[in-house]
Amino acid sequence: MTWLVWRQYRAQGAIASVLLAVAAAVILADGFHIASQWHSIVVRCAGNSACLQQDGPLVNGVVSDVPYLSLLVPVVLGMLWGAPLVAHELEARTSDFAWTQSVTRTRWLTAKAGWLLLAAAACGGVLAALTTWWSGPINAISASAFAPGQFDTQGIVPIGYAVFAMALGIAAGTVARRTLPAIAVTLGGFIALRLVISNFLRPHYIAAVTTYYNVTGSFMPRGQAWVLSQGAVSRAGVTVAAGWGDLYPALPASCQKLLPAAGGGKGASLTAVFSCMKAHGWRGFVTYQPSYRYWPFQGIETGIYVLLAAALIGVTFLIVRRRDA
Amino acid sequence: MSAAIDTHELTKRYRRVSALTDCTVTVPEGRVSALVGPNGAGKTTLLRILAGLASQTAGTASVLGGPPRQDPAFLAEVGFLAQEIPLYRRFTSEDHIRIGAHLNPSWDAALVRTRLAELRIPLDQRVGTLSGGQRAQVALTLTLAKRPRLLLLDEPVAALDPLARRNFLATLTAAVADAAGGLTVVLSSHLVIDLERVCDHLILLAGSQVQVSGDIDTLLAEHKILVGPRKDTAPIERAHQVVHTVTTARQSTLLVRLKGPVIDPAYQAEDVTLEEMVLGYMGADEAPAGKQLTTVGEES
Repeated sequence: MTWLVWRQYRAQGAIASVLLAVAAAVILADGFHIASQWHSIVVRCAGNSACLQQDGPLVNGVVSDVPYLSLLVPVVLGMLWGAPLVAHELEARTSDFAWTQSVTRTRWLTAKAGWLLLAAAACGGVLAALTTWWSGPINAISASAFAPGQFDTQGIVPIGYAVFAMALGIAAGTVARRTLPAIAVTLGGFIALRLVISNFLRPHYIAAVTTYYNVTGSFMPRGQAWVLSQGAVSRAGVTVAAGWGDLYPALPASCQKLLPAAGGGKGASLTAVFSCMKAHGWRGFVTYQPSYRYWPFQGIETGIYVLLAAALIGVTFLIVRRRDA
Repeated sequence: MSAAIDTHELTKRYRRVSALTDCTVTVPEGRVSALVGPNGAGKTTLLRILAGLASQTAGTASVLGGPPRQDPAFLAEVGFLAQEIPLYRRFTSEDHIRIGAHLNPSWDAALVRTRLAELRIPLDQRVGTLSGGQRAQVALTLTLAKRPRLLLLDEPVAALDPLARRNFLATLTAAVADAAGGLTVVLSSHLVIDLERVCDHLILLAGSQVQVSGDIDTLLAEHKILVGPRKDTAPIERAHQVVHTVTTARQSTLLVRLKGPVIDPAYQAEDVTLEEMVLGYMGADEAPAGKQLTTVGEES
């Protein structure tokens, strides 16, 4: 069976390998460029944090689109390889040839789907590793590896996305029996699920931590934390997100008077406003996922996608075995 | 001799449409059976159920001693070739030979190479670029390379020109002769003429039902065309099975399956050809028995 898979996919596999190698070369070149920039700033600033904060954001790659690559590749693989895997055999009727040789459909599908899921995982893994390495200096400067966007392109989650997209393509093709609708379903389904999970599910994998602080001071979670929300909370429990537009109407009148009516406070009067808020019992708060949860979250998210992929592949096996060809 | 194929009231329904209704047929081992019927009669459905590619709604099928199933031993013994000649169009014949070698326990690669060399079909050419006749030959030879005990061929010659058709049937006939009784074939077609030379057994499907089946010689001996004056055919219908009736102004022509000698001296009995018999049954399906047909161009 493996030979049939190899024969069917060797051309596509070669093209994909070349593209992956080119991408890797570009990411490596760009990554070394970023790393040398970062290194020279670290040397020049010699531990001066103000200098680092000022020059750090200047560090950037020539190819700033690198993370998009690991966002895009999984779903493209699902559309181009996953969707036709069963659907195209049915369309071209080659399933009649394959399914009347002396191997069961189960073994046929195990070999085809198995190798392609492995290929997807490998592509996702290579791109994730490269992107993670490429993002190292930027992570160090902006401490944003946990933030949506960066979290999705680094670590191990891209492997989960790639495996899921491939499984979705295979299952969609098996149900639809036609390649084109399966490609559309793969694209739409993948994007929809990614949006739902990253926006509504991911923040709650583990209950977020909320830290309250003195409103005249300041607080930021350490390391690569993911800040979900921040703002101020009154003694009565009224919560207002950061930003004067929301805060102003919620303040006691005595504090409001200290601000210019236009809302754009000057430095001196802001200190007075914070003192006034403190006097009225207001506290600052930050709700976040702490830095140490980065890998547990990566594990949970990857697990969710791999489980969904397994369910889709399970359904595919049932259909392929039972339905008339 | 045991039966290679034995079905009992096999029925296949797609939603409300019935593709095959109560199909009960037996094909003894070693026979070459012609599965004949108009388009849409259920030939493909029957063959796909026998090959294990489709499942029946009701009834039972026994193929080589057991139900068709997804099991390497069963699949190894049954060769199937569909109407569309399913091959990987971008692969060469050589690629297909190697795929077959990987997917089948007993695989006669030499058979394919020899036969394709005889037919001057290049092994290294993509099958998508071969002619329809060549592609059908490649597909049939690949199916034979499995060394199956049962060969199910679904209208493989329908799209071929007469020469390619003859070559294809020659390959088939040679394979049957080589197997010396160890190969059973069911070959479907809507053209009787293709099958007359190679088949010794008949299954006639029309309107999703088996009209008649059995040994061709026996069937031909049982059927007669009775030509006589135009009169009430009821006595004949009581004594025999009238398959099809054509009535003109002066005379009646009846295709009957005899249940005994024809007593009425007014009728003249003639032998039937396979084609006449098949067309008679197909016509019977179009117009229910008893309804009289009028030949076009003559007054009734």
